Amino acid sequence: MKTWTQTTALSIAALCLAAPSLADELTVYTALEEEEIAAYVEAAQAAMPDTEINVLRLSTGKLGARLLAEAENPQADVIWGWAVSAMMDPQILEMLEPYEAAGSDVLPEKFRSGDGKWFAPIGYMGAFCVNTARLEEKGLPMPSSWADLEAPEFKDEILMPDPNSSGTGYLHVNAVLQSMGEEAGWAQLEAVDPNMAQYTSSGSKPCKSARVGEYTVGISLAFTAMQSIEEGYPLAMVFPEGGVGYELEASGLMASSDNKDAAKAFLDWTMSDEAIGLYQAYKALITVPGVDASEAAEKAGLPADISTILADVDFIKAAEDQTAVKDQWKEKFGR
Amino acid sequence: MSLAETSSRARMRRRIDADRLLTLACIGLALLGLILFFAYPMVIVFLRSITVGENYGLGNYTEVLGSSGFWRATRHSLAMGGATTALSVFLGFIIAHGLYRCAFRGKWLIRSIIVLPLLAPSLVQALGLIFLLGRNGVISRALGVEIEIYGFWGLLIANTLYALPQAVMIIGAALVLLDARTYEAAEVMGAPPWRQFRDLTLPAARFGILNAAFVCFTITITDFGNAAVIGGDYSVLATEIYSQVVGQRNFNMGAVVGIMLLLPTVISYSIERQAMKRQQAGQITGQEPYRPSFAPLRDISMAALSLLICAGIVSVIGIVVYASFVTLWPYNMALSPKHYDITLAGGYSSLWITIVISLAAAAGGTVAVFLLGLGLRRLPKAVAQPIQILAAMPAAVPGMVLGLAYILTFNSTATPLYLLYGTAALIAIVNFYHYHTQGFLTLMTGFRQLPLALEEAANSLGAGLGRTARDIVAPFIAPMLVSVFFFLFMRSMVTLSAVVFLTTPDLSVAAVTIMRLDDAGLTSQAAAFSTCVMGVVCLAVLSMKVTLALLRRRAGNKGST
Repeated sequence: MKTWTQTTALSIAALCLAAPSLADELTVYTALEEEEIAAYVEAAQAAMPDTEINVLRLSTGKLGARLLAEAENPQADVIWGWAVSAMMDPQILEMLEPYEAAGSDVLPEKFRSGDGKWFAPIGYMGAFCVNTARLEEKGLPMPSSWADLEAPEFKDEILMPDPNSSGTGYLHVNAVLQSMGEEAGWAQLEAVDPNMAQYTSSGSKPCKSARVGEYTVGISLAFTAMQSIEEGYPLAMVFPEGGVGYELEASGLMASSDNKDAAKAFLDWTMSDEAIGLYQAYKALITVPGVDASEAAEKAGLPADISTILADVDFIKAAEDQTAVKDQWKEKFGR
Repeated sequence: MSLAETSSRARMRRRIDADRLLTLACIGLALLGLILFFAYPMVIVFLRSITVGENYGLGNYTEVLGSSGFWRATRHSLAMGGATTALSVFLGFIIAHGLYRCAFRGKWLIRSIIVLPLLAPSLVQALGLIFLLGRNGVISRALGVEIEIYGFWGLLIANTLYALPQAVMIIGAALVLLDARTYEAAEVMGAPPWRQFRDLTLPAARFGILNAAFVCFTITITDFGNAAVIGGDYSVLATEIYSQVVGQRNFNMGAVVGIMLLLPTVISYSIERQAMKRQQAGQITGQEPYRPSFAPLRDISMAALSLLICAGIVSVIGIVVYASFVTLWPYNMALSPKHYDITLAGGYSSLWITIVISLAAAAGGTVAVFLLGLGLRRLPKAVAQPIQILAAMPAAVPGMVLGLAYILTFNSTATPLYLLYGTAALIAIVNFYHYHTQGFLTLMTGFRQLPLALEEAANSLGAGLGRTARDIVAPFIAPMLVSVFFFLFMRSMVTLSAVVFLTTPDLSVAAVTIMRLDDAGLTSQAAAFSTCVMGVVCLAVLSMKVTLALLRRRAGNKGST
């Protein structure tokens, strides 16, 4: 009993120490990747020495749940680099305050909201992750389009994220529907459905399963593919002919922020030359006109002009159609 | 003489009043915690489930009940819950029976291996099963056939691995305290071993078995992690919630499914209570600890079965530990320590605060369930019953729902509870209440073996509740207190689902670091970090056990002199 009392007392003391300090700090919520966050924050911190930048990193879906749960008393000052299709959820837009970050006016209209609530200088792409070792072992041809995945020998060799659970899943479904047209798009998805071994709840899982040789093709993210290739897995990154889906990583100012000056300064920094220079090292997809992603793209084996592989995505329409498409998908393919 | 009598009577009355106060304090404290940190957040979830637009209504429920996906997931969840429960309780009974009713050497080995799934982060179990049994797993490659593990069978194995230690803990609590003298009497009367088993062991273990079954069923239908990684397309209710809340940001619908999950739990718990009514509680007299003698047929088969199960557990976890040292699983099997060089996602910094949080959750939690169990014994049935149901409910809430409910509750400036938001204390609290059911039911199973006569005797000898609790009750159920403490400690070290929503930029825990590493595609680093967590937990548990043993020896010496 005595040791309990001591332990408890000690623990309580430790817990109090761990409580957050309430100093003048900036809280940033993001879904960017760990490695790039580390590089960007280091630079931003140097540019804004008087503000302590605290970053919370969660995956796109979990970040959304967290933001909505905190809606009554939001904790974040800034949302930074978060999937625009999630950002365009009316429940989220309601929490944002219009702010035109310095330099964001150079972005084409497609990459920022008309009312100034978000802007997206960067983005990420989907990709097929093809395990070349397993492909060879099974004697399968290298797929280069969605249509190639219809072949019966791919039965139970393909994984894809469920659009109802994963933003990456919707990224792909939406790209197929928008680039092929509603009717042909649904027909395409129906044609590959019998070959799908699983619809996963995570967007990166298909690629992670493919890279360790559990399945041949993982319909997933280019980031995970590149990262896996760099680690040495026998993986090929394939962008389907006819265009691959992509997503913008948008940023915006929380209306509830009590530290708006610092928040605005940070958003300005994300459009600064320094930031854009860093994007060139980490991002394959940069929407700032005249800035090419050659450095990162070349490293990943992408064409210099990335627009040639992207599907023609209308993000406003994608956000509007979201519920209907997901419902229809569940109706047709729900398992 | 009359003066002496009155004064002694007055003293008696004062003591009874003090006892009543103490009982109320025990119950009151524990109940206050349950209400603030479980019932209140769940009421808020319930309100979300009946929120339609700006109004309240049952629209969300009719929508959920009308969807075919929900019913499919319900069928799957019930089938999975039933199968996992049957398997875990069966295997759990074998192991608990082996540990406490049989005589063979090396029990410490079984005892330490059986808890491994509790201290393994969920990623480890998932990876282990896939590395072992997956289509490109070690066994598939060795056999030359591809095992299809994704789906019902894979999920059943994964859920059983997770439920088994908890079943052993609860069933063990029922078996460890069986009185040796009843067995001696049976022996003298010539009852053969199988009759002793049927007529003595089984009935005595019934309460534990039912409690274990309840826990296994409940944790299976609420588990998301296993379903997501190894369930394939086998959709269950927990994946439905994930898809509603995380996939579609549709909170209210997720809340509906969360509330619906409480139903089977409340129903099965009531059934269990009904079943227990027919059995007398407690034993009549004091006890002699049972010392099993060696019976070759029984003991060798029990030991073999237990060791077989343990071998399964060790291989699932061992392969991940091994893989964390492999350069590139499964393509470059050269060994290398490179995955232990972790710099992203905060590196190793979260490990230490997690230990402090887990110790706090375990210490506070053990005291809280002890007080609750102590107080419940002295309450009239009509009052105790609803409190028991409330205390057994938290396992029915999926971690994600509990985590989000905590945000909704404690991130509101309307109450002073807001002070807790974003603190390590709240993480310790959510960890304890998430596992409240298991701790509570283990202690209740232990309490049931405590002879009422013992307490009454202490009482009539003039010991108040405080002294009885300290000198009679606590030592008697000390083994359960210890196992509840370690259970809460180990789970708090690695549980993710609720905690992931409560970490802040300054405050992250080990499980979240593992998730972030895996999210970043660095699965091998995540496995390496998990290995470190498991190592640290093992060390911590070991050193605590040594300390306990030393304390016990010192207490024993003091007692004998």
